[in-house]
Amino acid sequence: MASSIQINANKTCLIVDDSKMIRRVASRILRELKFEPSEAGDGREAMELCKAKMPDAILLDWNMPIMDGLSFLKTLRGVEGGAKPVVLFCTAERDVIKIAEALDAGADEYIMKPFDSDILGSKLSEVGLLDQAHL
Amino acid sequence: MSGDLSLKPSYYEALKRLTIELVGVKLGADHTFLVETRLSALARKEGFEDLSQMIDELFSRGQTRLAIHVVTSLLERATRFFEDRPGYEALGDIILPDLHPLYRGGTLRIMSYGCSSGQEIYSAAILADTLADLFPNMDIELTGVDYPSEALERARAGRFTHFEVQRGLPIRHLIKYFDRDGEDWVIKQSLRDKITFLDHNLLANIDALGTFQVVMFRGHLGQFISPAKVRILRSLGKLVSVNGYLMLGSHENLDDTNFWFKALSATPGCYKKRAKQGLITEPETETGTGTEIEKFPKQPFVPMEYNGSKTV
Repeated sequence: MASSIQINANKTCLIVDDSKMIRRVASRILRELKFEPSEAGDGREAMELCKAKMPDAILLDWNMPIMDGLSFLKTLRGVEGGAKPVVLFCTAERDVIKIAEALDAGADEYIMKPFDSDILGSKLSEVGLLDQAHL
Repeated sequence: MSGDLSLKPSYYEALKRLTIELVGVKLGADHTFLVETRLSALARKEGFEDLSQMIDELFSRGQTRLAIHVVTSLLERATRFFEDRPGYEALGDIILPDLHPLYRGGTLRIMSYGCSSGQEIYSAAILADTLADLFPNMDIELTGVDYPSEALERARAGRFTHFEVQRGLPIRHLIKYFDRDGEDWVIKQSLRDKITFLDHNLLANIDALGTFQVVMFRGHLGQFISPAKVRILRSLGKLVSVNGYLMLGSHENLDDTNFWFKALSATPGCYKKRAKQGLITEPETETGTGTEIEKFPKQPFVPMEYNGSKTV
């Protein structure tokens, strides 16, 4: 549908992951979905980028050096404008308790690695950033 | 693509005929590679040396069980949780609120006709459970029917892969309604208990199934040849209780095959059964002259054992 392209034309998504490979793959998929991706290698770097300009969405890894995903999320939700970005955890953690902990801390969705473009698209539509008709 | 087939062209043609006769579906060009991939996998599982040996066996001995497995594995399509979302919104926002006053104090029955690996009926069960407080004093029973197949066995097991549970299913539903088991996720028993899965030939008589207030038959219509489509829609006309609903996909409609239902204008693909049936209850004989239609048997030749034996 043409409308889905327009809806997502200007959406920005910050990818926070210490793996360069994951950031590259996620960037490529997000561009295909008409998002404008940016990248950070850990929570602290991501926080600096967010303070400069809040993205529409954040794809957030859990285990990272310096500042992990959960600490980043808790910090983000406490700062001015930090409630705005839709946060999708994207991590190898699959424990139900961990998932619940992420949701309690303010995550909107949760992706378990490994993922593909279908899963990422599905989750983005789940949080209202992508038209269902895209799928 | 056909040049890559290891199967004899005559066998491929025979498979096409079998699929039309058995389930009323015409194999398209997109099924060509599935013949190789899926049937090779099935051949291994069934203990044959290779695909050719299985197909030899199929056409020399004419085993019905094998024929059904061959055809269903060819036709299985990937389904996802909450696929075609507008239908679920209609179910929660319009259909259940409309039916609740009528079934308060009783049981409302929901059917997925052609349930495949179960995502549709499990999604309906999840939706009904999340809305249970809005519809007090009403039990909801769910049933999924399909040909005996690997997909139906997966539905019965309620076991889904890491990838399947991440397509269409919100994470909160995953952690509420599934248990993790190694790499897979398994539907919790409490939800599983609400659903019955039955072997059923979709073209066969449905009288033994009873009636349902909601029948989901979404995304299937396009694949059937015309006589099979008419036969199924007539069955569904009986399967849906008076005042009940038939749900097609949001991009599907009954067109000129609608003898029983009133379309809901606000929700494409959703139909409410009329209190009184229209004048036309028996559709005219098909006028099509295509060879498939001529070959299509008056009654399916699937033996009775496949007409709804209950194996829960």
